[in-house]
Amino acid sequence: MDDSQKYPGLLGEPRKVGYVWLVYLLLYAVAIPWYWPEGYVGSLVLGFPLWVAVTLGTVFLLASWTAWVIHRYWQQAGEDD
Amino acid sequence: MGEGLVFGPGALVVVGLYLVSMIGVGWVGRQKRQSDSMADFYLAGRSLGLAVLFLTLYATQYSGNTLFGYTGKTYRIGFEWTVSVVFMFSVIVGYMLFAPRLVALARKEGFITPGDYISYRFASPALTLLSTVLMIYALCNYTLAQLKAMGAAVEGITDGAVPGAYGIIALAVIMVVYETLGGMRSVAWTDVIQGVVLLLGFGILAFLIPIKLGGGLENIVAKLGAMDPPKVQAPSLEGANKWISYVFLLGCGAAIYPQAIQRLYSSRSVKVLKRSLAIMAFMPLTTTLVALICGLTAAVVLPDLSKVESDQVLARLCALVMSESVLGYWLVVVVFAAALAALMSTADSALLSISSMLTKDIYLPYFHPDATEAELTKFGKISSWGIVIVLVLVAIGTEATLVRLLELKFEVLIQVGPCFFLGLYWPRLTAGTALLGMLCGLAVALGLTLAGHPLVWGFHAGVLGLFVNAAVCAVGTLLKPAPTD
Repeated sequence: MDDSQKYPGLLGEPRKVGYVWLVYLLLYAVAIPWYWPEGYVGSLVLGFPLWVAVTLGTVFLLASWTAWVIHRYWQQAGEDD
Repeated sequence: MGEGLVFGPGALVVVGLYLVSMIGVGWVGRQKRQSDSMADFYLAGRSLGLAVLFLTLYATQYSGNTLFGYTGKTYRIGFEWTVSVVFMFSVIVGYMLFAPRLVALARKEGFITPGDYISYRFASPALTLLSTVLMIYALCNYTLAQLKAMGAAVEGITDGAVPGAYGIIALAVIMVVYETLGGMRSVAWTDVIQGVVLLLGFGILAFLIPIKLGGGLENIVAKLGAMDPPKVQAPSLEGANKWISYVFLLGCGAAIYPQAIQRLYSSRSVKVLKRSLAIMAFMPLTTTLVALICGLTAAVVLPDLSKVESDQVLARLCALVMSESVLGYWLVVVVFAAALAALMSTADSALLSISSMLTKDIYLPYFHPDATEAELTKFGKISSWGIVIVLVLVAIGTEATLVRLLELKFEVLIQVGPCFFLGLYWPRLTAGTALLGMLCGLAVALGLTLAGHPLVWGFHAGVLGLFVNAAVCAVGTLLKPAPTD
């Protein structure tokens, strides 16, 4: 039985698109603060220490990327209400 | 100040009306039922539209822990808890890894519980039973955390004048009444009200707490940096490992919460579900981030609280705001309603989910295989009352901080993850291998935790268990001969 029979109407899914996950990997690598020197604070950006501001900005990018990926790559036949 | 806040008659009437309205909504949900079937009771007849689905996902995912546990955790560790914004977002990534296939399958096969999928995919009563028991355990723990937070909220808001036990009992009764009246329809509709109140509450908190009490975020960060420098500094490498671990813990754990999976099943269409999840991806920035800022403010305004006291810092901050003006007083009433909303919307969803799994995955196959849908629904309602009574007794009788409770449930729950994340994509993964992986994962997670090593190099014991679990699944599958076709 192929996937279209097992999962009726499923025309596309994000999991199968390689570059989607590469972008996720890159964004997570920026969001997680492993690369700052220990004890780093930096200047304040909108009240947040720089390392926090970078993480929060990257989470916004991750959320935007996710919204686009869901729209573009999760395809279900006859999904109109 | 610090004498606590005592609501006047007007505020008590508002909060009382708000709580009574939950029962009213539950009653309306009962009137709108289409049949006595389990799909109607537990999944609202798979009819949830965009607004209801989004708000029920939101109100369910953001719990009492977000308000009380996360503000308390930020109070204790500072900006390092920015990880909460990252891991709450990661839940949506977790959905994307399995939801498209699971939803397509659920609509075709008419799944009610996560156990229905596991039973369909693996055809193994042992694996289905173990998975169900683990999920029920995790959800009981989750509900317990909400009940304890209800007690903490009431106690904090009254500065100890009203014992937490009374708050727990009263709110639990209201919750189980509206839940048993109309099932998922009532729970989702109350979630709409609770979700809106929660959004409103976080909106108020975002402006009220840091500006009114802390003199603005820059001022708060400057003071905190002087008072306690590590709280504003970037984490160590081990700290960064912990962030990665949290991403796995929540990204895999919260995404397979049974009540979350049942909301995926309940959507009217895939289009509605996709839009709801896309909006949910942004919600950590409007919700978890606000809890973080409140926790930082508390660290400056209310220093030197004990660990247990720190889980009540939000209530203490509200007490400060409330004492300053009439406007502040009424804004805090809304925030308190939001706190109740966060607790109840999460607990009621978990409770309904526990009831559905007890009924569909345990009572039906093992105790009453010939039961009709109406009989099963009736059993589900009775079991909800039983579960609530037990959990209320446990909540009143135990002590622990909220975040630790949250971590412990994920240690167990994520061991079910490979059944979804691998099972949907790897036809060669057998029930025996998945069961072995789950047992090995559990042994590692619980063994390390019980041995006093909940974290190893910053990684949670449950996440290490998940890695072992997935490795056993992979090796066990690859060692078996490939199918000849």
